[in-house]
Amino acid sequence: MKWESRRSFVIATAALALAMTAPAGAQEAKGKLVLYTSQPERDAAQTVAAFRRVQPNVDVEVFRSGTTEVMAKLAAEFAGGQPKPDVLLIADAASMEALKADGRLQPYKEAKVDGLAAGSFDSDRTYFGSKLITTGIVVNTAAKSRPTSWADLAKPEYKGQVAMPSPLYSGAAAIMLGTMTTRSDLGWKYFEQLAGSAIAVRGNGAVLNAVASGEKTYGVLVDFMAFNAKAKGSPIDFVFPAEGLPAVTEPVAILKTATNPAAARAFVDFILSDEGQKLAATMGYIPARASVGMPSWYPPGAKINLMPTDIAKVVHANSANLQRFAEMFGK
Amino acid sequence: MRDAHERLDHAALRGSLFVVVAVLSLLPLTRLIWEGLAPGGTASTSALVRVLTDASTWTATAHSLVTAFGGTLVAVVIGAIVALVVTLTDMRARSAFVFFFVMPLLIAPQVVALAWLQSFGPASPLLRMLGAAPLVGSRNPLYSPAGIIVVLGVQYAPLVFLTLRAALRSLPQELMDAALAGGARPFRVVRTIVVPLMTPPLLAGVALSFVSCLGNFGIPALLGIPANYVVLPTLVYQRLAGLGPGVLSDVAVLSILIGAMAVAGILIQDALLRRRDFRIPAAAASARAFELRRWRPFVETALWLLLVVVLVLPLCALVLTSLVPAVGVTLGIKTATLENFQFVMFEHAAARRAFVNSVALSATASIVIALIAIPLAYFVVWHKSPLFAAANIVTEIPYAVPGVVLAIAAILLFLRPLPIVGISIYNTVWIILFCYLARFLVLGLRPVASGYRQLDRTLEEASQIAGARLMRRLRTIVVPLVAPAAAAGALLIFLTAFNELTVSALLWSSGSETLGVVFFSFQQGGDSTYAAALGVLTVIVSVALMLSTLLFARRVPQGVLPWRD
Repeated sequence: MKWESRRSFVIATAALALAMTAPAGAQEAKGKLVLYTSQPERDAAQTVAAFRRVQPNVDVEVFRSGTTEVMAKLAAEFAGGQPKPDVLLIADAASMEALKADGRLQPYKEAKVDGLAAGSFDSDRTYFGSKLITTGIVVNTAAKSRPTSWADLAKPEYKGQVAMPSPLYSGAAAIMLGTMTTRSDLGWKYFEQLAGSAIAVRGNGAVLNAVASGEKTYGVLVDFMAFNAKAKGSPIDFVFPAEGLPAVTEPVAILKTATNPAAARAFVDFILSDEGQKLAATMGYIPARASVGMPSWYPPGAKINLMPTDIAKVVHANSANLQRFAEMFGK
Repeated sequence: MRDAHERLDHAALRGSLFVVVAVLSLLPLTRLIWEGLAPGGTASTSALVRVLTDASTWTATAHSLVTAFGGTLVAVVIGAIVALVVTLTDMRARSAFVFFFVMPLLIAPQVVALAWLQSFGPASPLLRMLGAAPLVGSRNPLYSPAGIIVVLGVQYAPLVFLTLRAALRSLPQELMDAALAGGARPFRVVRTIVVPLMTPPLLAGVALSFVSCLGNFGIPALLGIPANYVVLPTLVYQRLAGLGPGVLSDVAVLSILIGAMAVAGILIQDALLRRRDFRIPAAAASARAFELRRWRPFVETALWLLLVVVLVLPLCALVLTSLVPAVGVTLGIKTATLENFQFVMFEHAAARRAFVNSVALSATASIVIALIAIPLAYFVVWHKSPLFAAANIVTEIPYAVPGVVLAIAAILLFLRPLPIVGISIYNTVWIILFCYLARFLVLGLRPVASGYRQLDRTLEEASQIAGARLMRRLRTIVVPLVAPAAAAGALLIFLTAFNELTVSALLWSSGSETLGVVFFSFQQGGDSTYAAALGVLTVIVSVALMLSTLLFARRVPQGVLPWRD
């Protein structure tokens, strides 16, 4: 191949690549986009990097913390009259429902929702579930015995050996609390017992650290964090508890006060696109768009036993739940 | 005519310096105290009562006192013994030892805390490699009040060491000679002459390390929060981070409480000193060293072993952790990875931004402060103006009070847009810069002042007689003369600001993160391998800067660079 023809081949390939990304990049977005998210540091960095490959003219500024803390920061900014973020990517739909009820979210009617699981997005199109994140039990491989159910975890033999994410920090933990306390087999009684054996730490990251490091033997943890750390060599295993697993959908939403709505919409487009969904699957998440395939840890052919959550109920009871939990666990 | 010019120039420069000192050093804390008296602008005791009747206030206060006294005790024991041995004996390689011993003071406390954390516990890469890691399920012993006390003590032992060492150097040789000639043994000389004479600097060191322990945020944040052991600075942080500016009046009261405890510590030290007379014979020659003779190898080994325990081992653990691919993996040639460094240097946008922010903030603060300190110290030292003597003391306040106190004061000051211009600097990088200028001004002022004290005024007077006006004299005569001292001060400020967390933890927003903030959020999110990598990088930068100063160290007044003996 001569130089000229090689160059034209390169140009043709580039044009083809551009044409292929055209649907996601159809809206020309630029400027600064402020994202508040509860994704772990590495995942947030990868998501933003992949988004910028599609929208290279958008600079993304990220604030990362636990969902509950993100919500507290947002509340403070609303009070001050200067909310900074354009777009949110936080753990659970209940937090989004609360924001929606306060009129803080901007609907995005044109969002591409075909192929998404029904019920994974808001019917008014203000927020869109981007994945499915279940919460189960994580065990250090040096553990002498293995719990197989949530009930096991509250047994006296595990006293002082269990770490769990505090719902005062983590959105997934708040949903878990809201879901389990309404069940007849667990209920508040379960958390009263759990308070005897478990301590609540700052979030899922802190739980992973405690169990992988061996400072705690057992933990309550989201699926993808456990499997990603295990793949990198951390001495842990993930257990699917017999009663089922509570789950969150990590929705994405645009704030009504967004200063760069075009870039915010482009971000939502990217998260829901095949490309964004595939990225989620490679990062170990169960994607909202099942057609892109499952993460490598997903038990082939099996179905995870999910605990159904009544979002409206959780939203209603949330602050009372957190208060009660704080008194029980002393934080 | 010339006199009129001179008077005018003086008035203009003095006036602007007064405004600068008033805005930086007096305004923030005045605003804070005002908030305590009149929360939200109306006189009321509701916030005061609410905070003072809250049980968590008093739990945190008790914890603060326990850790501050405990940390001070450890710091005094280590710092005093090391200062005595280093100054009074003929040990070898003294300069190298001092360089390393002082190092913890110039590494970020939160990084030191993580380094200690990684030296213990079942996941410690160091213990795992040695096969000595405790069983799974055993708690890291550093997550406790005792852990906080030990790490605080190690962090601030150099403070006690430095104050004592400066004083021990001017110990009168005559008294010791007389005692030795009278047949006293070395230990008796130390007990009856050295120790009594060293009481004032020892008390100063005690007060200094008490205030530092009380105001420290990084160490109780890393070691105390996971154990649910909250001290006052971490309580302020948790309230503000969790609940937002709505609780500002409450945290203002908490801040005043911390400030009052710090001031009480300083006042007690003052009162103790005033009751006795510690004057020493004038024109004393520097003391000659006691010969250790056959004990020398043992004493030297003991000192260097101390360094290994308090510095080398924790830093090794930190480096090893930064090479671990995932928490809990046993490190070996095959598992070690540079991925954590790659992530914090190239992939994590906030870490990169924080590096730029921290360097820019530290550099700006050190240059601006040098520009303020040179004319300010000129009036303080060479013109001996009483008003400037007062200004000199006032600049100490924002540095003497704990960092959270200043940060809360700054939020109160800047929460609403600035009058006249209508711009808000709250939630921007500028509020952090303001705090750095206010807090570190005194760090730049002290070395410049001691520079002026060592210089002769004749050159400047000659140029004044020759007709040079004030600004020109400052620029062409004074600045070149005090430049080395100013540069040393600037460097000290740079290092302190570069490693700072306490102030920025309360003032940062997305886009204005500092390195301390990113480090802290990594650690809080459970990403301690990333935190370790970032910590290692900041330690490398700090040590490189410390080493670089040895190049121009001879031109700097003695005692300005703490790591230079």
